[in-house]
Amino acid sequence: MPDMSVGTSYASSKMESDRAPDKFPVGMKVLLVDDDLTCLTVVKRMLLNCQYDVTTCSEATKALSLLRENKHAFDLIISDVHMPDMDGFRLLELVGLEMDLPVIMMSVDTRVNVVMKGVSHGACDFLSKPVRMEELQNIWQHVVRRKLLDNKENEHSSSMEEGDGCRQVNDDSEYASTVNDGIDGSWRYQKKKRDTKDDDDADLDNADPSSSKKPRVVWSVELHQQFVNAVNQLGIDKAVPKRILELMNVPGLTRENVASHLQKFRLYLKRLSGVAHHHTGLNNPLCGVSSNVKVGQLGRLDFQALAASGQIPPQTLAALQDELLDCPSHSLGMPAVNQPVIQQSSIQGTNCVTFERGIAFGHPLLKGQAISSFPVWSSNNIGAVGASSNLREMNSSHNNNMLMTMLKPRDPHTVPSEPNHAINVQPSCLVTPTKSSNTFQAQRNSIILNQDSILVPSQSSSNFQAGNTVLPVIQDSVAITSQSSASLKAGNNAFSVNHRSTMFPSQPLTGISLGNGPGILNQTSIVLPSQQLNSSEAGNNCILLNQNPMSVPSQLLSTFQMEKNIIPVNHKTSLSNDSSFVNYNRLPARPNNIPSIMEQTLDGGSDNLCAINSYSVPVSVSSEVLSNTGNVAGWQLHPPDVNIGHPNGSLGLGPNSCNIQATDALLGILPDRGQGKGLGFVGKGTCLPSRFAVDDIEYPNNDLANTSAYSGDDGYILNQDICGINGVVQSGPCATTGFK
Amino acid sequence: MDLGSLQRRYIDFTSALLREGILDGQFTQLQQLQDESNPDFVLEVVTLFFEDSEKLLNELSRTLEQQVVDFKKVDAHVHQLKGSSASIGAQKVKDVCMAFRNYCEEMNQEGCLNCLRQVKDQYLLVKNKLETLFMLEQQILAAGGSIPMMW
Repeated sequence: MPDMSVGTSYASSKMESDRAPDKFPVGMKVLLVDDDLTCLTVVKRMLLNCQYDVTTCSEATKALSLLRENKHAFDLIISDVHMPDMDGFRLLELVGLEMDLPVIMMSVDTRVNVVMKGVSHGACDFLSKPVRMEELQNIWQHVVRRKLLDNKENEHSSSMEEGDGCRQVNDDSEYASTVNDGIDGSWRYQKKKRDTKDDDDADLDNADPSSSKKPRVVWSVELHQQFVNAVNQLGIDKAVPKRILELMNVPGLTRENVASHLQKFRLYLKRLSGVAHHHTGLNNPLCGVSSNVKVGQLGRLDFQALAASGQIPPQTLAALQDELLDCPSHSLGMPAVNQPVIQQSSIQGTNCVTFERGIAFGHPLLKGQAISSFPVWSSNNIGAVGASSNLREMNSSHNNNMLMTMLKPRDPHTVPSEPNHAINVQPSCLVTPTKSSNTFQAQRNSIILNQDSILVPSQSSSNFQAGNTVLPVIQDSVAITSQSSASLKAGNNAFSVNHRSTMFPSQPLTGISLGNGPGILNQTSIVLPSQQLNSSEAGNNCILLNQNPMSVPSQLLSTFQMEKNIIPVNHKTSLSNDSSFVNYNRLPARPNNIPSIMEQTLDGGSDNLCAINSYSVPVSVSSEVLSNTGNVAGWQLHPPDVNIGHPNGSLGLGPNSCNIQATDALLGILPDRGQGKGLGFVGKGTCLPSRFAVDDIEYPNNDLANTSAYSGDDGYILNQDICGINGVVQSGPCATTGFK
Repeated sequence: MDLGSLQRRYIDFTSALLREGILDGQFTQLQQLQDESNPDFVLEVVTLFFEDSEKLLNELSRTLEQQVVDFKKVDAHVHQLKGSSASIGAQKVKDVCMAFRNYCEEMNQEGCLNCLRQVKDQYLLVKNKLETLFMLEQQILAAGGSIPMMW
């Protein structure tokens, strides 16, 4: 197969553009205010060296008007205390009241009363001049903390901390907790803050003691999905609570609820991106992944597995999930895929993303996009990766398949600068990784992500399950898709996808693997079904596109041709716990697609199986690849074996050993990275979940068509797209679906 | 002078400045911030400092010579001077400013005038030293060498 260079370049270009926002704290926007030019120059240089984005102002009044014009233009403000046109404390106060941004004061005067004043006026830190570089390196914590604290403000508002003034305030002094009773400004400040926060009862946190009076808003999957949709529509960067609220149009929901939820969401994204980033640079896609991700049945991801894989610590995932969703519900249908799932997926996604490339796969999704959890799915069945919407940002240009959008294969960087990015797994969207194989993903990300192995994680896996939309979570990651895996990276298998879409299903995976390996794109869909995989994106092999909502499962597979096969995504939708393998065979070797649940064991060599719910699609893991562990949960792919025929050897499915256990989810394992083209699908033999439209790969779209395969399954629909698999997860050299 | 000697001289000179407290660690930080993409950073900042300081010192002289001294204004200027000198590491200047501020608070004109004299002296000293330092750097660069890192 010719190498997919397209994918590569696509991937890399994606990376360029996506890089900036995802790398928080790099690129954090700081407004520096000081009338002393010498100091202004020095501090500015230091901030630039910390890789922040700096704007300087020598007049407080000018600074204030800049902020009033656009309060989102900055994340943090650093201001001198003594200025001729306006007292620094006054500026501090105004900023806090009007824009609610963190402000750090600085002065050469460090007398206690001065610092105390800073504290009481709500400064989140106080730096003494001369400011040292080391002190500036950590100031981003205030931005993060602020968001966290905002949520808990209620709890803190009444705690006055006395004695704080005795020492320099160098930590987050929450507005609410500043000492101060006597100081007018601070008092007013506190009150205002408290009042605002009191209303915020959208409490996703587990504990929110102080908001007992207000009826709590439960962020159900549906609600979250709406939220995600709204955020996506607005763009994560521009999503303000008020607008989100308007778009959501939910009676009884208040701006504060939305604000609080948004904060959590951003933080969540940030965390995901953080995790993802962490993994960036993993070169070895899949292989590295721990292949034993087990998807718990029903989509519960096996956090452990995930954790094991190192991707995201279970607790984090769980926590994140919890955070975002009030209660995980596995409703299918929701694009949002069960929330839990989604979360998982998202989380996973992150993982996934990181996988290999660190793809921000997850992020991309998240970015801004709020992963809308697969909105797409809904139409399809599969929750379609709603996430695609998430990807929106990323994709924006994509077709919007929703899914597609989602996945833009992001380059791993994607770490969204905003917290949002990252796979957000929006609750709604998520693909439940749990379900789906997310497990794979994550770990493997492989899925894709790295190209090779895409596993699409689950994501989607989640979905499929009944109702869940699987989304592969991946959304970003997920699915392994590798989202983007975009495959990121050049050449790697991309698997795409996934991003978000991954997979799964529904989403179009755009998996596209970039350049490398095939990936599935899942984007949305991978594989699944229905979505289209737009795989193809990057030239790499690939993948699938799911065009159809695929669901691949069943379908796809076979098709892909080319050498690599894409693997259909496997969705593993295990719907019902039985995981059947869907063997999507890759085509060349076997055309048969698996649709129908196949349990195919992987043939040696070439077929990658995708496990799809209900079927586990064996990624072509060589021969055994998937061992279906019986229903649910996944079938395990034994990666190493799986080799999809590729010469490359590495099998898409999670690197060889992917255990895809997604019971629910489809495992969209797409093994094989696409060789040559970015196959969306998993490498050879990989099964591509239905529809992968792989550019190069000839996949039988029609084969996949649709989903047909499974419609019967609940959840699993491969058609549903939910295949967890997005697109082909290709591990190894085999076609991996590249997701883009 | 050959390059080696120039470099040694530079090192000695800088060490002495640090030892005597004319410059402190902040100056070293500035030097660290300078790199290929910002080759004149230190010079740029120091130049800003010179300009600002001279303006401030003039203002201070003027204000303190009034019949009725506006100590708040004096204090504001001193504060400013203190900040900028701290930013470049002109330690002695900064130290004098601290004492200066105390006199301002006490509204002690005599004390303030005294401090003003001292601050001017210290300022001129540090200015002179820095100019020598830059000259040495130029000489090293002209001789084809690179400036020794003092950290």
